[in-house]
Parts: sequence; structure tokens; C-alpha cells
Amino acid sequence: MYIDPEQRQNIARRLRSLPQETRQPYDWIEFRRRARERANASSRRGVNGKKYATLAAALVVAVMGVAAWIRLTRPDMSLSAQSDATSGSGAVVIGPPDTVEARAEVAERWLASLPDEPIVVRVGTRATIAGLEDRIAQLDDFLSMARAEGAQPAKLTAIEEQRTRLVNSLVQVRYAETLVSASR
Amino acid sequence: MLRTLILAILLVPGLVLAADPPLAGDKGGDADLEAKLDAARERLQESAQEVAELTNQLNRPFFQKFSTFNGPGGRAIIGVQLDRSGGNDGAHVLEVSPGGPAAEAGVRAGDVIVAVNGTEVKGEEATRQVVKIIRAAKPDTKLSVRVLRDGKTQELTVTPRPGPGIMAFGEGVPAMPAMPPFFMVQGPLSNMELATLSPQLGKYFGTEKGVLVVRAPPDGALKLEDGDVLLAVDGREPKSGSHATRILGSYQPGEKVTLRVMRQHKTLDLEATVPEPSPGHRKDIMFQRSPPESAPAPGEVIIMRRTDEST
Repeated sequence: MYIDPEQRQNIARRLRSLPQETRQPYDWIEFRRRARERANASSRRGVNGKKYATLAAALVVAVMGVAAWIRLTRPDMSLSAQSDATSGSGAVVIGPPDTVEARAEVAERWLASLPDEPIVVRVGTRATIAGLEDRIAQLDDFLSMARAEGAQPAKLTAIEEQRTRLVNSLVQVRYAETLVSASR
Repeated sequence: MLRTLILAILLVPGLVLAADPPLAGDKGGDADLEAKLDAARERLQESAQEVAELTNQLNRPFFQKFSTFNGPGGRAIIGVQLDRSGGNDGAHVLEVSPGGPAAEAGVRAGDVIVAVNGTEVKGEEATRQVVKIIRAAKPDTKLSVRVLRDGKTQELTVTPRPGPGIMAFGEGVPAMPAMPPFFMVQGPLSNMELATLSPQLGKYFGTEKGVLVVRAPPDGALKLEDGDVLLAVDGREPKSGSHATRILGSYQPGEKVTLRVMRQHKTLDLEATVPEPSPGHRKDIMFQRSPPESAPAPGEVIIMRRTDEST
């Protein structure tokens, strides 16, 4: 097909006057690289989300533990307020002396507030807990017997002190178990 | 204090996020963090067990003395403190042992025990009567306990457990369960993880009851595998992870045991041997009692010595 040279030049001029072709932003290799990066970022977000949820759960439990520890190691204000309210005096007083009984009571209330056991139990920790529970139960039964037989108060006090020590130990092991369970 | 706690809850996660932006890490970093978290959990568990072990050691002289006037270990326990001066309408419950048989049965502090196994207890001797019945009870034999609570009576069933004794090894001295069973705490079974089956989980594994072995003990101990459902131990059916732990803890290292398990929807009976404690721990925990002929009169302290001191 014959094209007039003038017409050809005209076409060429028109073509040159067209806006320059927009280049592809990136080639296939770059596209695959970016796709992989997006997938990795998404996966990291998932892992990180899980990790931070775990950390947050562990932190909440840790803060609760600190609160429980503070409650166990300070005079029990709520107990004093409650006993004062029941006495009807109406005055707010500083709590009772930091008695062994008061602390043991707080520890036992905390234990009673826990579920019986976590969903997954580790045998070593559970065996320790079971051993402590059995010893405490043994002491309690013995205290009943000693009281029924009118044992000396000094002997009863000695056994009660041992019991308190075991209960505190039980609190610590159960706290650790709860913390590990919450951070799973 | 409440304000401090709220501040702590708000600030600490913020500090953690600021220290490590979510997208800053790579896969290797995450794996490293996970490994560190696992190691921290492990240390936490070990520390807790160490606390318990040290408490036991601290209390050991007391329990040695205690065992002489309380009789041998293995006596049934239910875990209640009764108040002699509570009143004459029954035996008043002063305390309930956490995690004890009475607590599991639903007995609460403040309850008044008015009958045990159909025998009514009241008057000045009520507490003594209940103590007598408990001391005569056999472990794992159910006790029917009627309690008075808020003016109403309730019938509860308490299953006494065998009380712990002091581990004793020597000529003519029967081995008694230690507190806690050390081969469970420090042996290969200590790392085993168990989960109580929920009905949904049970359907998946093809059984309605049993305890799932989430992590089997290492080195094929007890021949268990991850994913087994433990149905029975010598005929005793575990109701929970804790119950399975207690059942296994009632054996001595070296004893034969038959485990019924559900593995891949098939029921198997595994003949296994209870493993020994890990080497290195045993000498620290085993004690030898003096020969029976030199047993002290009630009230005296039994002299215990370490097995490694005799060599």
C-alpha cells in the first residue's frame, strides 16, 4: 500500500504528539516480590496479634497477682471495715493487726475463687498441688481431733502455723499454674 | 491502690508496644520470642515446684514428729476443721481444706454436720463423734454427710482420700507415699500434660469419658502417646487431669500398671512400669527410717537419715 510521504510525516507527527505511554509500575518479578512481602506482613500481623494478646493476658494476670500479693502482705482493710460495720460502731478504723489468721483467710478466699484446675494440667505441678492439698487436709482433720480431745493451745497454734505455711505455698504454686495457663 | 493498678494496666502494655512495634520483627525474631516465652513458662513452673519443695523440706521435721502421734500415713482424710465450741446442734465446720475431699463435695465453712452415714450427731459430743467416724473411714469409700446450712439440710457425699505419709525405705519398713509423690514431680512423668475431655472434644476422640494426653511423657514412659485418651488406670477411671495425677501418684516407681487408652478410636490396654525419678534427684528426697525394733514411743521424733549418708 502506498502512503504519501507527506501523509506519513503527518501520522508520525500526530503519534509524537500523543501523550507518552504510561510505563508499567513494576514488572512481574517485582509484582511477585511485593506479593510475597504483603503475605509476610499479613502473617507477621497475625503472629504478632496472637503474641500481644498472649502478652496482654499474661500482664493482666500478673497485675492481678501483684494485687493479690499486696492483699496478702498488708493488713486486710476490707475485713476490718466489714467487722466494724457488723459491730455497728460506724467509725472507720485501721484494720486489725496483720494476723496469721487474717492473712490465711485472704489466701483461702483467693484459692476458693480459682477454678478447680486449668484446662490443661502439667502433671509435675499438679502433683505438687495435690501433695500440698492432702497435707493441709490431713492437718485440718488432725486439728479437729486435737480440739475434740482438748489439746493444749500451744500445740494447736503450732499446727495452725504449719497449716498457714502450707496454704501460702499452695497459693504460690497455684498462682504460677494460673499464670502459665493464662499465657498459653 | 486502685488508681495505681489501673495506671499499671494501662501503662505496661503501652510500654511493651512502644519497645517493640508490631511489624518490626521478622519470622526468626518471633520464633525466638516464642522460645523465650516457653522457657519463661518452664522456669515459672519449676520455681513454683521449688517453692513447694522447699516448704516441704522446712516442714519435714514437723511432719516427722506429726506422723508419730497421728499414726501411719494412708489414713483417710476429708479435710475439715471442726469447732468444738460451736454449739450443740451438730459439729460446726470452722474451715474446709482447699482442694480437699470435703471441699470437692461442697462442704463449706459455717456448715453444721448433723449426720454422717445416717448416724445423727448432736450434743456436746457431736464433734468427737464426727472425728471418730472420719478416722474409722476407709479411703475411697463414700461417706454420706448431712449438713445444716442457712436453716436447711443438705445431703452431701464425701469421698475420703488416703492421707499422705512420710516416704520410708528400709528393712521391714513398708514404703509409704511421699508428699508430694516425687517421681511425679521430678521424674519423666512431670512433663506430661493432661486435659479433661469436654463432651465436644470427647466426640472428636470417640469417647465420652477419660483424660486427653496432650503431651506424653518423654522416652516412651508409660507407653503413652500424644493424643491418647486415658480411660482407666488399673480399672480406676480418671475424671480430670488432677484425678489422673492423683491416681498415678498412688503408685511406687517400678510398679506395673495397666493403662486403658483410646488411640485413634481404638481401645488398647497398655502394660507399663511406673518410671523411676530422674537420676540426681532421688538421693535428695529418699529417707530411710530406723529399723522397726528401735521405733520410738509415741510422741518422740523419728530420726530420719538420707539414703546417700549410709554409703
